[in-house]
Amino acid sequence: MAERFAGFEREDVQGVPFLVRRDPRSKTFRMVLYARRPLDRDAAARALLPALLQQGTRRDPDRPALARRMEMLYGASVGPGTAKVGESHVLRMSVDAVAGAFLPGRPDQLGAGAQLLRELLCEPLLDGMGFPSGTFERERKQAADAVRALRDDKGAYAAERAIAEACAGEPYAIPEHGGLAAIEALDRGAPERARLDFLTRGEMVAFAAGALPEAGVAARLGELLAAMPARAPEPLRPPVSVAPRPVRRAVERTLLQQSKLHLHFRLPGTDVQRLWIGRRLFTNLLGGGPHSRLFREVRERRSLAYYASAGLERHKGLLQVHVGCDERAAAAVEEEVLRQARALQAGEFQEQELETARAQILGTLATVDDSPQARLAFAAESWFLGVDRTPDEWMDLYRSATRDEVVQGAAGLWLDHVYLLGAETPAGGIAP
Amino acid sequence: MSFTVVRDPVLGEAVWLAQTARGLPLRVVPAERFREAAAVVTFRYGSVDLAFSDAAGAHTSPEGVAHYLEHKLFEDEAIQAFDRFGRRGAKVNAMTGFARTTYYFTCAERFAENLQDLLHLVSRAHITPENVAKERGIIAQELRMYEDSPDYRAFYDLLGALYAVHPVRHPVGGTVESIGRITAEELLRCYAAFYRTGNASLAVAGPVDPEQVLALAEAAQLAAGPAIPGTAPADTARPPAPRFERRGRVARARALLGCKERSLIADPAARLERDLVTRILLDLWFGAASPVREALRREGVADDSLSASYVADRGFGCAVLGGEADDPERLLAALRAVVARPVAVAEHDLERVRRKFLGGFVRGLEAVRSLAFAHAQEAGDGLPPFSVFQRMAAVSLEAVRARQRELFVPEAMAEALLLPGG
Repeated sequence: MAERFAGFEREDVQGVPFLVRRDPRSKTFRMVLYARRPLDRDAAARALLPALLQQGTRRDPDRPALARRMEMLYGASVGPGTAKVGESHVLRMSVDAVAGAFLPGRPDQLGAGAQLLRELLCEPLLDGMGFPSGTFERERKQAADAVRALRDDKGAYAAERAIAEACAGEPYAIPEHGGLAAIEALDRGAPERARLDFLTRGEMVAFAAGALPEAGVAARLGELLAAMPARAPEPLRPPVSVAPRPVRRAVERTLLQQSKLHLHFRLPGTDVQRLWIGRRLFTNLLGGGPHSRLFREVRERRSLAYYASAGLERHKGLLQVHVGCDERAAAAVEEEVLRQARALQAGEFQEQELETARAQILGTLATVDDSPQARLAFAAESWFLGVDRTPDEWMDLYRSATRDEVVQGAAGLWLDHVYLLGAETPAGGIAP
Repeated sequence: MSFTVVRDPVLGEAVWLAQTARGLPLRVVPAERFREAAAVVTFRYGSVDLAFSDAAGAHTSPEGVAHYLEHKLFEDEAIQAFDRFGRRGAKVNAMTGFARTTYYFTCAERFAENLQDLLHLVSRAHITPENVAKERGIIAQELRMYEDSPDYRAFYDLLGALYAVHPVRHPVGGTVESIGRITAEELLRCYAAFYRTGNASLAVAGPVDPEQVLALAEAAQLAAGPAIPGTAPADTARPPAPRFERRGRVARARALLGCKERSLIADPAARLERDLVTRILLDLWFGAASPVREALRREGVADDSLSASYVADRGFGCAVLGGEADDPERLLAALRAVVARPVAVAEHDLERVRRKFLGGFVRGLEAVRSLAFAHAQEAGDGLPPFSVFQRMAAVSLEAVRARQRELFVPEAMAEALLLPGG
């Protein structure tokens, strides 16, 4: 009997775990190979890599040629991307397409998509120094411009800066793009070194889900892996944790009308799954939607903010509260957030509130199976967390979770940092 | 009332069509393969529907009234909408656009109760002076958040430059000033005018029983009859301000070029065709496969923020091109040059676009929410199911070329710049 993980069948392909889940209900499929490296000073080179790889291959020498090829595959999406997952930097190499069985002439969509992915990753346009100078300079400038433009998106800018301040000195403070200074300091060889580093030292795992053929899927991954250099994966470090300390604060000012208040709470590290069940319920009770304390108390009852929500970052052990409000209300918002968090920690919530939080989480989990893309993402997240459970198994755990488990999950939660992006002037905003 | 069943042209999946005795059209895609179900109620009422005549006479609403009304319909204290949907694990939301307001939910269980509540929410206006006043601060916060976005400001600056009198020139949510003039009486009058079965549609997808959906829709108490026709002014003349420039505290300049329709189409089917052909034209120029786009990038004139969209519905239509730029004047000049040249399009280009569209169509069948929204859009326009797919397949090269000649004329263009240094 095949080994399984999170409802996927597992086999090893050239030493890389490959997890597959065929779904006869689907008409699309997704195949992804992930490679993980530590989030560190090389982040800028790693983050720039996807943009450079998409500038062309030996066969398709520019972006329009690559795009035309994907459009001919019925709008398939093929290519690399990067993401920050906890304190790791992940290269994601994916094929996302409609299965040939549902298209005129029944084309081999998986084979064609996997071949294109192989060319993108393993046959980039390079000269002796790395990516061609003109291409490198153009894409580096564009990446730097995009980071500068982040200041114009007040919500995204505040989120990035709040993390940088809250986690200063920890790898998690590094933004996914690596930072403006690091981008500007890149040399032409750095992205190619990052590519080889991902492919040789990266911890790899691959997934496929959806309308997949009965045979030959692993062979496609095998062809991709065979085209790569020899691998010697290096294990990742566990995330940095910090001991409780007095609340730290940071305030930045810019021209805006709606201020952004971000509170970062820390949670003690644990692998006890039932504690994480409690934590997820606690986060949902606090700020998981219109039924939550923050929405009802901060927005609806006291009209202090337009939005107020809470989210859990399990990889790093952070609970983040994001609020958009008038700066004059920021102190009252913070006070109310803390009051609500303390009340929930003390178990002061109605049974109905718990049932609503439970129903919301169950509702989300119940629909993961509807989409191969969502199911694959769920399995990948489970792999990165090292938790072998299907959505249905998680649902059973949430169904049986108790009030005490919420209280236990939230025990030890402490406020570490408060960040405010406020207005330079009372009027604020872009010039009228 | 019996159903008519229509099958999609690719996979043969069924959509069930009916109309309630009170005149609410509905479309149901029963799909047992999903756990999730989605329901969408759409009204042909949006931010541009400011002027109308009802029994009390001609009336013009303050800007932002449709969006304000959308906020208020969730405030039914009797049914505590958010609590009830939340307890069932459902996700409920609403959105207002230029020409329609949409209410929707998704859920994995207790679909019938959720649909009953959604239909109840839109079938009554629970509006008092007190709850209208309470909501004003929240909406003002929302508007201030949007106004902090340079892209939002540049977009509405462009619409203001293109349109002299049509209300599409105003932000969908209005302004902090305009919502200050919205009263309970105003909202109730607009509700009575536009929230009617003949101005609405219901679309549902997921593991549902069409007969049950119809029974629930029959029980809904939404007022019967057609909407009162809006009286938005035709605004097809030369743009009042060929250029609008603003300086602000932005990290990067924004430059937008707009081109407005000089003729309006009342027939939704013809409007759909115009919409599709325009989107193909813009894709050929500015899509990922376009050599034009690549040349602009390579020359440093544009970057990946470059976008091209077509914004159109009842009574208005315009193409919007542009993005961030180091040299916004150069970007605008380049965009003007692109649209002035005959578009290079061959049959293999259209074949590629058709393939991409077919792939997108099949992907759309993979998610109940996109299925429900697609059918709601067509139902709202009174179009037969799968009209988009069938008309896309029929687009010709000559139609694309003719569209360029018709739309992209210098006298219909305006530009908006948002420059650093405010």
